[in-house]
Amino acid sequence: MNPQHLNASSLKSRFTRRFLRALTKINAQKPISSSSPREIFQRYGRIKAAADKSMANSVRSRRTWSRAMLWKLRSRSYRQASSGRRSAVKTSTTTSHQAIRKKTNHEKENKPTKTGEDQVGFVVQADELRELVPGGEAMDLCNLLDETAHYIKCLTTQVQVMKKIVDFYSL
Amino acid sequence: MASGDNDDVGFKHRHESLMNCSSSQMNTNPLSDKVDAMAMSSISMYNKPSNASDPFFGSGWDPIVSLSQSESLVGSSMVSHSEFADTQYSLLMENQGISGTSHFSQYQSDPSFVELVPKLPGFGSANLSEMVGPLSLPQCSQMANSRRPPIYALIHEGGSERASTNSTQSRDEHQISEEGLVGASPNGKSRKRVPESNSPLGSYQNADEEPQKDASGESGDVPKEQDGKKQKTEQNTDANSRGKQKQAKSGEAPKENYIHVRARRGQATNSHSLAERVRREKISQRMRLLQELVPGCDKITGKAVMLDEIINYVQSLQQQVEFLSMKLATVNPELNIDLERILSKDILHSGGGSANVIGLVPGINSSHPLSTGNFPGTISGIPSTYPQFPPLPQTVLDNELENLFQMGFDSSSAMDSLGPNAGRLKSEL
Repeated sequence: MNPQHLNASSLKSRFTRRFLRALTKINAQKPISSSSPREIFQRYGRIKAAADKSMANSVRSRRTWSRAMLWKLRSRSYRQASSGRRSAVKTSTTTSHQAIRKKTNHEKENKPTKTGEDQVGFVVQADELRELVPGGEAMDLCNLLDETAHYIKCLTTQVQVMKKIVDFYSL
Repeated sequence: MASGDNDDVGFKHRHESLMNCSSSQMNTNPLSDKVDAMAMSSISMYNKPSNASDPFFGSGWDPIVSLSQSESLVGSSMVSHSEFADTQYSLLMENQGISGTSHFSQYQSDPSFVELVPKLPGFGSANLSEMVGPLSLPQCSQMANSRRPPIYALIHEGGSERASTNSTQSRDEHQISEEGLVGASPNGKSRKRVPESNSPLGSYQNADEEPQKDASGESGDVPKEQDGKKQKTEQNTDANSRGKQKQAKSGEAPKENYIHVRARRGQATNSHSLAERVRREKISQRMRLLQELVPGCDKITGKAVMLDEIINYVQSLQQQVEFLSMKLATVNPELNIDLERILSKDILHSGGGSANVIGLVPGINSSHPLSTGNFPGTISGIPSTYPQFPPLPQTVLDNELENLFQMGFDSSSAMDSLGPNAGRLKSEL
């Protein structure tokens, strides 16, 4: 297992590089001397977004959840950047969200009509899972489980790397 | 088992993890990676026509097919074929990007392909050419012939029950009967599987299987075959092991891209329910994979509870990410390039050290106000110690870090036992 850590282009290394670059950028923007809670909170938001973004970029578009996450982040940044066009962007995002919801509802309607052998008992948990995994609204259970597995893998990598960074800084 | 797939997300990687997964479930059969890769890639190739019409795939296979058909495939050409095919396989594998898990599920539903694998040497090239079609199975089959038991066990659902049946001598009959089952597509059963295997399999089976028509009682292999049809399911009942063996339609060669699903005895043969069963198989496979990923879920049986665990785990991971990013937002000193390089090297190379850190996080929390107050004062101090670090080997640094963490961050008395470098650092904090 461990030799794979040294793989030059493994998920972990890709994420680490991107995240560190983003961190340096964020740190360069503002000096740390200002420690008002509000600014700390802003930095927190930016760091979290940077972590998600670097994770999603490390996976590129190979996965539905990474695509959904990138899309979400980008639309959020567009919204923040363009205050004048905020209304237009919002409507576009809301309409696409509605489209996704409609599709999900449609799928949900299909479920009760299936035969009794279907796993009716999982619908509740499956919905919760859908909320957790980005982009999970429009997937059937099978793909959802796939995406969840990959998402868990990436999340654990992310947590590992960030822990290492934190500990390194806390010395 | 799935511990190896923590890092790389690539197709090849998941490939290996799946191989490890299935091989670990088998008896101790030593498998060569190359053979496995060949087999699995050949399976993926085999499945590809059933999934999508891939022009690259089609073009890629043609030279192999022509090659195979032009020579006798009885082993003399094995080496050259295998090498040629190997590059082709790797190329095609690269370019196709089939997801690992779907690939896994697909080759579980492909025992007919498995049957092909050991069967080839007994037959002339004529049969092979009609059998192979767009797929260049001969190469991998030739290779696989030398390792018949492991490949069969590996491909055929990778379950231990497969491995045990492999060890029986009547492997041939068992494979033939499987082929017979595949070839015979009975009336009410939905046919969703790839084609070519059927006609030659039918011929094999006619040659060898006549006595085994409906008397499934003779050899213990036959019922076992029927057990692991195309789907590995935990819903196997013993009654199902005496499945039907409809060899009436042995000679069929349907050229459709379907997945062949067979209904077991006592189960509905409605196409809807068969599709349902396939779907449920896939879902249970994925649940098993997830079970390995989520820690502490080995004992849990039941999908609902399992899903709850998964949800909790994902939530906890997300919360951890938030927590850590909050910490990074507050604790961050100024970075310079050297630190970043050291950091990245450290993070990437000390994978084993992360376990020690977990206990530290609550400790940092308590000392947090202290550290934020001290940091501005110590920023100048810290870089001065860092020039000493690069000459240190990475392992030493890691060991010191780990020692620090283990002994607790706040106890300065523990620092006395550490080396001078760590002590100096600590004093500045």
